[in-house]
Amino acid sequence: MTENSEPVANADPYADRRRWLAPVVALLLTFVAWAALSFGAVAVPLEEVFGVLARKVGLSLFAEPSPQAEAVVWSIRMPRLLLGFTVGAALALVGGMLQGLLRNKLADPHLLGIGPGAAIGAAIGSAAGGVQGAIAGGVAAGVLTSFVIRRLARRASIDPTRIILSGVALGAALSAWVGFVVFGSDRARVPPIEFWLLGSLTGSTWRAFWTVLIFVLIAGVVMFASARLLDVFALGEADARHLGIDIDLVRTVLLIAAGAAVGATVGAAGIIAFVGLLIPFLLRRFTGPLHRHLLWATLAWGALFVAAADLVARLAFEPIEIPVGLVTAAIGGPVFLWLLTRRQDV
Amino acid sequence: MSEATVVARSLTYQVGDATLVAAVDFEASDGELVAVIGPNGAGKSTLLNLLAGDLRPTAGDVLLNGVDASNALPGDLALLRSMLTQREPIEIPYTAAQVVQIGRFPHRRDQNNNASRDAAAVADAMESTGTTQFATRTYATLSGGEQTRVSLARVLAQDTPIVFLDEPTTALDVAHQERVMSEAVLLSRQQRAVVVVLHDLNAAATHADRIVLMNQGAVVAHGYPRDVLRQDLLSTVYSQPMVVVDHPFRDCPLVLTADKQR
Repeated sequence: MTENSEPVANADPYADRRRWLAPVVALLLTFVAWAALSFGAVAVPLEEVFGVLARKVGLSLFAEPSPQAEAVVWSIRMPRLLLGFTVGAALALVGGMLQGLLRNKLADPHLLGIGPGAAIGAAIGSAAGGVQGAIAGGVAAGVLTSFVIRRLARRASIDPTRIILSGVALGAALSAWVGFVVFGSDRARVPPIEFWLLGSLTGSTWRAFWTVLIFVLIAGVVMFASARLLDVFALGEADARHLGIDIDLVRTVLLIAAGAAVGATVGAAGIIAFVGLLIPFLLRRFTGPLHRHLLWATLAWGALFVAAADLVARLAFEPIEIPVGLVTAAIGGPVFLWLLTRRQDV
Repeated sequence: MSEATVVARSLTYQVGDATLVAAVDFEASDGELVAVIGPNGAGKSTLLNLLAGDLRPTAGDVLLNGVDASNALPGDLALLRSMLTQREPIEIPYTAAQVVQIGRFPHRRDQNNNASRDAAAVADAMESTGTTQFATRTYATLSGGEQTRVSLARVLAQDTPIVFLDEPTTALDVAHQERVMSEAVLLSRQQRAVVVVLHDLNAAATHADRIVLMNQGAVVAHGYPRDVLRQDLLSTVYSQPMVVVDHPFRDCPLVLTADKQR
């Protein structure tokens, strides 16, 4: 052992930047939660929001909320906020994971085609069984699409841009099929095409939230358990194998997890674009490249991004609501373009 | 390191009609550095991939310390052998120290291992490859030669009894070629078996204990450098007139190209 062994191994240029990520995101999440529960067609003052929350845990604190305020806050806004958090966390987490697994900073579940593929299954499922059916169909179709991408990735692994292009092509074809399913189904049972392709958290229910949460939790545990493996994967397949990783097994398991998590979000909220691309990309500058740091941060910042975008979607053109995917794409699209046009660094 | 052996018996690898490696017998033991040389397309890298357990042989088998390479679990294999491959770009901006640290991955389940052992192994590996000053630099921003040395440090950090190096001196200047080859020799002297694929015949002549000369998938000659690096043999195998003389200062042969007319 040499004398300077400790500093070399522990030198992490990102340690200082990481430190303030958690407090900042906690603050912003609190702010977004307050705004999401208070603002809207019916404004509920903060005191009444606290009143509703307190009564839900059996405390008679703060202002006594009106029955209308209670219904709006607890039955409409709360599940929508929590579903937004869950969807955002899942999409950003899957994006960060896929970027490591495919060794490609441009990887994003929807750009790769998982979203459109899941939407076909979700639309079919919703015709059969409402939101629960949509989530189940989304999970099944999401996993299936992941396997198609796995095959594409194997062929195109040499060229990162090429796999994204194949994903975009695949996504375009699959989106058309979402349309065929939607226009061929009962309009009263299946949500419209813009719900699937542009994403929306309108009509979120507690049941949808809990169902999505279960899938995301299971998939999330698998991804977090693989954080160290992803660092090894980043060196390339050959080296990962030399370091003892069963490449096919890991890739299969992680793609199933990705397909299930993304499929569940699509079933409940449609395709909310660019979250998986944008959030890990921005966060890596603060967390550093190690996945055990990155993946935790994607959860919180992904949740924040989608919940904040949903606020904009609800309030920007009030009383008209716009699809939340338009907001995320308006921000994510230019960043994607910028990423595509420059190759090296970060 | 106590014992280390690489044994291959009648190793054959076919893809379609092409036989890339044909009935090769191979042995390397702890304490020796074996160089594999031969012209482009001779099957050197394929042989190395077979020995490392990356490819499943069409016929024959590979035993690493007695373990059948094509049936071993990936995690077990990673504690037996390490390998330096041709550089692949790393998109995600890991620092050099993080790349070397990843070399410690196979030891995560070792009960005798801990964070300070990992740190010590990383620091030692970086010191002996002269890469300590790059520790906090982003791997992707290093020059090709620097990346190779960091990758070699990663292989050292893996700390296995058997070490495979696939053309480790490519893209290095002479000083760093010497440094990497000396490091390879040092590894073999720590009771490891080191197998190196080399294009540079003089690097093999200077540093190898034994040389295996391949051509068209088969072993044409193997033995001590002086026995393999023969003028007539090399001229035939490489289809290029060669001259072999004594190195003026070192106790080894010196291989030079010659003109076609001689």
